[in-house]
Amino acid sequence: MASQTLSPILEGTKVNIKPNFENIAWKWMRYSAILLIPLVWIHVILQDILVGVHRMNLDYVALRWATVGWRIYDVLLLSFAFAHGMNGLRQVLNDYIHHPKWQRVISWLILLLWFTITAIGAVAIIGGVRRG
Amino acid sequence: MAYLKTTLKGYTHYKGRTGQFNFLLHRLTGLGTVLFLAIHIMDTATVYFFPMLYEHAIAIYRTTLFGLAEVGLVFCVLFHGTNGLRIAIFDWFPRLWRSEIEHKWNLVTLAITLILWLPLTGLMIRNLLIHNFGLFGG
Repeated sequence: MASQTLSPILEGTKVNIKPNFENIAWKWMRYSAILLIPLVWIHVILQDILVGVHRMNLDYVALRWATVGWRIYDVLLLSFAFAHGMNGLRQVLNDYIHHPKWQRVISWLILLLWFTITAIGAVAIIGGVRRG
Repeated sequence: MAYLKTTLKGYTHYKGRTGQFNFLLHRLTGLGTVLFLAIHIMDTATVYFFPMLYEHAIAIYRTTLFGLAEVGLVFCVLFHGTNGLRIAIFDWFPRLWRSEIEHKWNLVTLAITLILWLPLTGLMIRNLLIHNFGLFGG
């Protein structure tokens, strides 16, 4: 009996739970992760290996962003990767900081930091390269 | 603080073999990637806000130190993705969550990461030798 009650997950038992914030955040991590594997890997192989930082400059960014598709690609990267990363950071910190008050403070700080940096990145992608 | 101490002590005292190793590596590679990502969004955003600063940021990325850090970053991204995919597949088929199967696939995850990472590392080091040390006709 004991072994049966200990391993419902291994038997494929489905449990219905009303989704709360953590539940939605967990799903966000899983679904964004599956998208991020091709998105990030292609981005890294293209920019770091095939092109390389030695061939990058303002002209290169302007050329890349002249294609709308690459701008959309970068918007996807920005929205999926950074939100995945910042929520991951929140989860990691929650493993070490257990006080509910501090967990709330950290959640709000991370939300603020995520929003600020995402907004800066989004404005840059939409605005494009500016020539001085 | 007591919680923090207990958790960190657990990492050194708990003998979770490859599962624990991959868990810690997943955490470290994730933290490393998000730290770089935050900086990377800001430096790319200079193309709109302060275009003159972009060339300066790129000049820093071209140094040998950052070139080696880039090799580490690529490892982080490859391991975090491969290991994350392993976890997702195991969750789709929960019967896989048995220690002996986990142990095997933890090792496979590390192997896949290295198989992807080593050739890319070779190409990045080659790039560094060409541009920073004038080798291979650079």
